[in-house]
Amino acid sequence: MSPELAAPRRRRSLSVHIVGQNAGLLLVFAMLAAAVALYCLFYWMQQRSFPGNFELTSTVDNTMPLAMAAIGQTIVVLTRGLDLSVGGIIDLTNALAAVHMQDSLGSMLGWTVLVLLAGAALGFLNGLLVGVGRLQPIVVTLATLSIFQGLAIRVLPQPGGAIPPGYTALLVNMNQPWALLYLVLCAGLWLAFRRSAIGVAIIAVGNDEAAARANGINVVRSRVIAYTLSGVFAAAAGLFLAATATAGDATSGNGFTLSSIVAVVLGGVNLFGGRGSAIGAMAGGFVTTMIVNILFFSRIDPLYQSFYEGLFLIIAVVVGGGIGRMLRRRR
Amino acid sequence: MTRHFTRREVLHAGATGMAGAATAWLAPATARAADAPAKKFKIALSNSYIGNKWRIEMENVFKAALEMEPFKSQVEGSWFNSGNDVSKQSQQISNLIAQRVDAIVVNAASPTALNGILGQATSRGILVVSFDNVVTAPTALKVNTDQLEFGRKLAEWLAKKINGTGNIIMVTGVAGTTVDLDRNKGADAVWAKYPGIKVVNRYTGMWDSSTAERNTAALLPSLPKIDGIWCQGGTDGVLKAFINAKRTPLPPTAGEAENGFRKFMIGYMGQKVDGISIGQPPFLSVISLELARRVLAGKYPKKDITIPFPYVTNDTVRPGETVFPQLPDSFFTDFTDGGASPMLKLCVDAALDGKACPGTLSVVLPSA
Repeated sequence: MSPELAAPRRRRSLSVHIVGQNAGLLLVFAMLAAAVALYCLFYWMQQRSFPGNFELTSTVDNTMPLAMAAIGQTIVVLTRGLDLSVGGIIDLTNALAAVHMQDSLGSMLGWTVLVLLAGAALGFLNGLLVGVGRLQPIVVTLATLSIFQGLAIRVLPQPGGAIPPGYTALLVNMNQPWALLYLVLCAGLWLAFRRSAIGVAIIAVGNDEAAARANGINVVRSRVIAYTLSGVFAAAAGLFLAATATAGDATSGNGFTLSSIVAVVLGGVNLFGGRGSAIGAMAGGFVTTMIVNILFFSRIDPLYQSFYEGLFLIIAVVVGGGIGRMLRRRR
Repeated sequence: MTRHFTRREVLHAGATGMAGAATAWLAPATARAADAPAKKFKIALSNSYIGNKWRIEMENVFKAALEMEPFKSQVEGSWFNSGNDVSKQSQQISNLIAQRVDAIVVNAASPTALNGILGQATSRGILVVSFDNVVTAPTALKVNTDQLEFGRKLAEWLAKKINGTGNIIMVTGVAGTTVDLDRNKGADAVWAKYPGIKVVNRYTGMWDSSTAERNTAALLPSLPKIDGIWCQGGTDGVLKAFINAKRTPLPPTAGEAENGFRKFMIGYMGQKVDGISIGQPPFLSVISLELARRVLAGKYPKKDITIPFPYVTNDTVRPGETVFPQLPDSFFTDFTDGGASPMLKLCVDAALDGKACPGTLSVVLPSA
C-alpha cells in the first residue's frame, strides 16, 4: 500500500481514537454546556435578563470546594480506590483554619501551608493503610472519616472562629470570578501530572496492577502518593470552604464525601480505575451546582427538589455511559 | 404572586421532560404580570433540612401565612429547601440575591457556614432574618426562643407539682448540641433549689418518641418508684413505656409538644396524666416573616426577637385547639400559640397542608 493512500485513513482513525479516549471529558463538557443553556433559559423566563457577573462569581465561589475535593477523589479513583475520608479531612482542615488563622500575611500564608501539610499527613495515613496494609480502601477511609470528624469536633466544638477578610478576598473574591484562575491553574497542574512519571504510574496501577508491577512500577508507593494528594486537595477544599463561609464549622464538610464521588462519576472518571481526567471531575462539580440553579429557577416544588436532583444524576450517568460505550465500540 | 407547581403538574413535568416544564411555566408567568398593580415585598424562606415533621409544619405555616391577609396582598413569597448541605444552601441564597428579593428568612444548615453569602445579601440591601438554627452573622436579625428557659420552666412546674420531694427521671436530647446542653442546664439550676428532689436517672431519648420509649423500657425495671418525669422530647414514648411496664398511674410529666403527650393529658390509652407541655414553636417562621414585613415597611426597628415559649398544662389544654385526638401522636401541636396572650392564632389546616385559615392573621411582636 502506498503512503499516499494510507495517510488519510490513518488520520481519520486517529481522530476517532482521540474522541474515544476522551469521550468522558467531551460528554461532561457537553452536559455542562446543556446545563448552562437550560439555566440561562429558565433565568431569562423569570428575570427577563441573563445571568451576569454576580451569578458567575457566586457559582464559581460556591463550587470551588467541591472542584478541589473532586480533583483529589479523581486521583484516588484512578488507582481503583475510593476516598470516603474526604469529608472528614475538609471538616478538620476547615476547623483548623477558622481557629488559627490571623489577619496578617505571615499567618495567612503560614497556616495555608500548615493546613495543606495536615491534609497531606491525613491522606498519607490513608495511603499507608491501603497501600502498605493492603486493606480495602472503602473500609479504611470509612474508619478514618469518623476519626477525622471526631478530631474536627475537638478542634472546633461549636461553629465559630473567623477567617480574615483578606484571605476571603484572595481565595474567593466575592465581586469578581477570580477563583476561575485557580481552576485554570489546577487544570494545568493536572495535564503536567498526567504526563509525569508518578501520574503514569498511578493510572497504570489502576488499569492493571499486575502488569504495572511487572513493568517495574512501585505499586505501594503510587497508592500512598495518590491518597496523600487526595488529602492535600481535600485540605484545599477545606480552605476554600472556610474562605467562602468566613468562619468555621466542624461538620460543614460532611457532604463532600458523596458529592465528590458524584462529581467524579459525572466527570467521566471510571470507578474501576485507570481512566479519567480531573478536569472532567471539576466540570462534573459544576454540573451539580448548575442542577441546583436550574431547579431553583424552574420553580419546581421544593419538596421534590432532591427527587429531581437524583433523577438528573441518573439520567446523566446513564446517557453518558451509553454514549461512551457506543463511541468506544465504533472505534 | 409566586405560584408553585401542584404535585400533579410536577409529575406531568417530569414525564414530559424539562421542555414540558418550560411551557407549563409560561402560563402562570403571564398571569402573574397582569394581576400585580401594587409593588409587593419579595420575601423568600431558605430552609435547610426538611426531613422531619417539625420542619414540614414550620414550612406549612409559612405557606399558610402567605395566603392570609395582610401577607397575601403585601408579600410575594417563595420557599426553598437545601438539605443539610451548606454549599447548596449557599448557592440557593445566591440565586435569591440574583432574584433581588427584599428579604431572606433563613433556617440555616450551619450557624457559621452561610455567613459569607448572607453578608453579601445584606451588603446588597437585602434584609436577612434567621430563626430556629440561627446564624452568627452580625448583620442578620435573629428570631428564637430561650432554651435555658425551656428546661427551667419544665423543671419548676414539676418541682411545684410534687411539692419539692421525690424521685424523678430526666430524658435528655441529642448530646453535643447547644439546645440539649442549655435545656439540661436550665433544669439542673432548678433541682439545685430543691434538695428533696432526687434525679434517679438521666438518659437520652434523642428527641424521638420511639428511641425514648425503647430506652425507657430498658431502664425501667432497674428504677425505683418514679414521682415525676422531665423530658426534652419523645414524651409520648416515655409514657407508653411506663404503661407497658404497668407503672400506672402515670406520674406528673413535664415534656415536649407532641400530640401524643397532650392526648394523655385529656385521657388516652386508659390513662390521664398531669403535665406541662412546651415546644420549639414551628411558627417561628411566621414571626420571622412578620418581622421582615414590618422592617421592610419601616414599622419596626431592626432588632432580634426572643419569643416566650407557648405552653399548656393539663388544666389549659383544649381538644381541637392545642390537642388533636384524631391526628397522629407524632404531630407537633404547638403550631399555634396556645398561651394566655398569644402572639398569633393559626388553624390546624395551616400546619397540616399549608392552607389559609379563615380571617386575617395578626402577629403580635414584642413592643419595639
